[in-house]
Amino acid sequence: MKKSEVRQSLNTGAVFGIIHIFCVLIGFNAMMGSLLVKIVGQKSDLSAPTVASLVAYAILLGLFAGIVSARRQHEASLAKRVLASLLTGVVLSILATALVGIFQLLLTNHINPRNTFPTLSFPFMKACLFKLAGKGVWINFFIFLGSTVLGGLLNGLWDLPTVTSSRKNANTWIKNLGEKISGGSPKVKKIKKYAFLGLAILIVAIVPVEWGSYWNYVIGTVGLYVILGLGLNIIVGLSGQLVLGFIAFFAIGAYTVALLNAPIPFNIMLGFWPSLILAIILAAFTGLLLGLPIMNLRGDYLAIVTLGFGEIIRILLKSDVLTPFTGGPRGVQDIHGPMIFGHEFNDVNYMYLIIFAVLLAIFVYNRLQNSRSGRAWMAIREDETVAKATGVNTGKYKLLALMIGAAFAGLAGAIYAARNQYTGPDEHAMMASINVLCLIIVGGMGNIPGTLLGAFALKGLPELLREVENYRMLVFGALLVAMMLIRPEGLIPSKRPIRDLPDLPDENQSQEPTGAAVQAPGEQAHDR
Amino acid sequence: MTDNIIECNQVCKIFGGLIAVNKVDLEVPIQSITSIIGPNGAGKTTLFNCISGFYTPETGDVFFEGESLRGKSTDVIASMGISRTYQNIRLFSNLTSIENVMVGQHHKLKETWLDAVLGTRRSRKEEKDSIEEGVRWLNIVGLRGMGNVPARSMPYGAQRRLEIARALGSNPRLLLLDEPTAGMNPQETLEMTALIRRLRDEFGITIILIEHDMHVVMGISDQIAVLDFGQKIADGTPKEIQSNPRVIEAYLGPGGAALAKKYSKKG
Repeated sequence: MKKSEVRQSLNTGAVFGIIHIFCVLIGFNAMMGSLLVKIVGQKSDLSAPTVASLVAYAILLGLFAGIVSARRQHEASLAKRVLASLLTGVVLSILATALVGIFQLLLTNHINPRNTFPTLSFPFMKACLFKLAGKGVWINFFIFLGSTVLGGLLNGLWDLPTVTSSRKNANTWIKNLGEKISGGSPKVKKIKKYAFLGLAILIVAIVPVEWGSYWNYVIGTVGLYVILGLGLNIIVGLSGQLVLGFIAFFAIGAYTVALLNAPIPFNIMLGFWPSLILAIILAAFTGLLLGLPIMNLRGDYLAIVTLGFGEIIRILLKSDVLTPFTGGPRGVQDIHGPMIFGHEFNDVNYMYLIIFAVLLAIFVYNRLQNSRSGRAWMAIREDETVAKATGVNTGKYKLLALMIGAAFAGLAGAIYAARNQYTGPDEHAMMASINVLCLIIVGGMGNIPGTLLGAFALKGLPELLREVENYRMLVFGALLVAMMLIRPEGLIPSKRPIRDLPDLPDENQSQEPTGAAVQAPGEQAHDR
Repeated sequence: MTDNIIECNQVCKIFGGLIAVNKVDLEVPIQSITSIIGPNGAGKTTLFNCISGFYTPETGDVFFEGESLRGKSTDVIASMGISRTYQNIRLFSNLTSIENVMVGQHHKLKETWLDAVLGTRRSRKEEKDSIEEGVRWLNIVGLRGMGNVPARSMPYGAQRRLEIARALGSNPRLLLLDEPTAGMNPQETLEMTALIRRLRDEFGITIILIEHDMHVVMGISDQIAVLDFGQKIADGTPKEIQSNPRVIEAYLGPGGAALAKKYSKKG
């Protein structure tokens, strides 16, 4: 191995060692570990984790470090990769062992570090030593070293010629299978398409009934955020205007339905459906109002102004002066939802409503993004000055994007308020705007699958990982940083559609430059 | 009014204390090729920007087909029939090349967002027609079969040609080309000059170009205007310009005319 390669491997070890120490100090290892053993069906307490969970965490971290270390040796032999992971493993193990060594010293001398490091309780530290005291230090060393080398070995084996070829075979097999399923004559294809569609509809129809209300609530929230994400995607992803106060439109939708369907403060009871339409129109109108003054702003300035707009809406909703009209800080309670056959909507009905709204949003977004308007938006995003000089009325299209995006948010807000039967100003805080923005950035700016994935990752996962509530923002931040480094264009980067272009005859052939005709006057100029 | 498609009348553009364009008169006959030449910083691109609406001249006026362009924004001017390209290529780089041309067609198309959402027959037909026309323009500029390539991943020469295709998308009557052959090799330059000629002859487009390559300028221009320090110092046919002592002086410095004479005798 070259000197630089050795240094690289050692560096990798140091980085992973520091990550490990950091994770232990904030108790992240216990959390990760307990999640891991939960999959197998065991329970683990965060303050005094089980030994199994910590071993699982250590092995996972070691494997990861080994794979990363081996991967950095580009196209190297198996032995070289294992050697690299060994070097990495030594550094990682030394750091990890030093940490548990300190724990052992603290334990034997009965020094309590909890004042500075709240997670480091005695049971926690004992668990980190695998409840074996002095021996645990060495066992720690060998677990980390062993799993790192194993990671390197796995990486090496994965890229062995025999393995790669069988992997390729498997890939082509899957591909062929896919073609077999989707292939056939046009008629058969059509039948298959409808069969698939029917199956999808059946699943969508049955699942909300079978799921239970908790799942309907979680997935419903994800669905509402998909609509929000698509709306913001029209504004940010397609037309390229960085609008930060987006949740204000959501708030307007929610409050419209709330105020028109709650006994306090007005007792209007207009009914859900007319107020839903009113909510969408009002949100779009607010988009227009906001758009007019900011039409000439770009980039940072636009972001700051719209941030201010979002806060103004929230503070207005909360203010004492407007309490008789908006319910003030307490919000609006007891909102009456839609009725169906004389019954109030239950969670299954809401789920259907949300699925329908999501499909509608996807449909509208999809139609728009490949239309004349969509191209005008993207041209504005790419280069506003040139778009204008190419004949696009940029002001009009920026307003249009804001209005349609706001209408999406109004729709989501209206359903949200009716479903929760409550809405208050704090649901529409700035963090919610940032959440929606993060969702589309993580998923991939400007495309539908990215928005779906982003909504599941940022709204669905945290719900599923209830016990890691405390780490949510930490993981969230780390995820964003990692995303920006690894996949700056999001999990699913946007791709332009491949169009079916007519193959017109090339009219250039007859007009091929004859050379001499063009050259002659040029030569004259040269000879002057 | 007259046969001139564009008339610049005493156009002045001032940046702070610098007079970038100083009382320039320019008359461009319909279906001609006019070149604007001059040393660096002479105000050629500024004049282009005045015509295409990027700048509003301090004094003076630009008339397009007899209509004043004063106070009109760039998108209005573009929809009147003036298209341009840029000195440093400015494509919509994340869009495919056919989409770039389709953005060029924007103001000709009628489809509204509601048409698009509802998928009306009119909008589908219009979309199909616009793709077909876009492909035709791509073929004409020599980008056959590259319709689905993102603009940013095209080679340099192709990007220059795509910019022209985008400008042509709006069916302009006047095309402003800012250094169309900059950075091109002799073969590409040759193709470009042939293309410019063809646009004039076949499609009747009037062309004004800024160009530094004297072979190109002298070869294809019907008329040449020379700018120096914001002022128009000469205009006329290529022959007249070549022998104009003020032009030679502007390029070679004082005494340059005598020097040029000496060398041309030797040659």
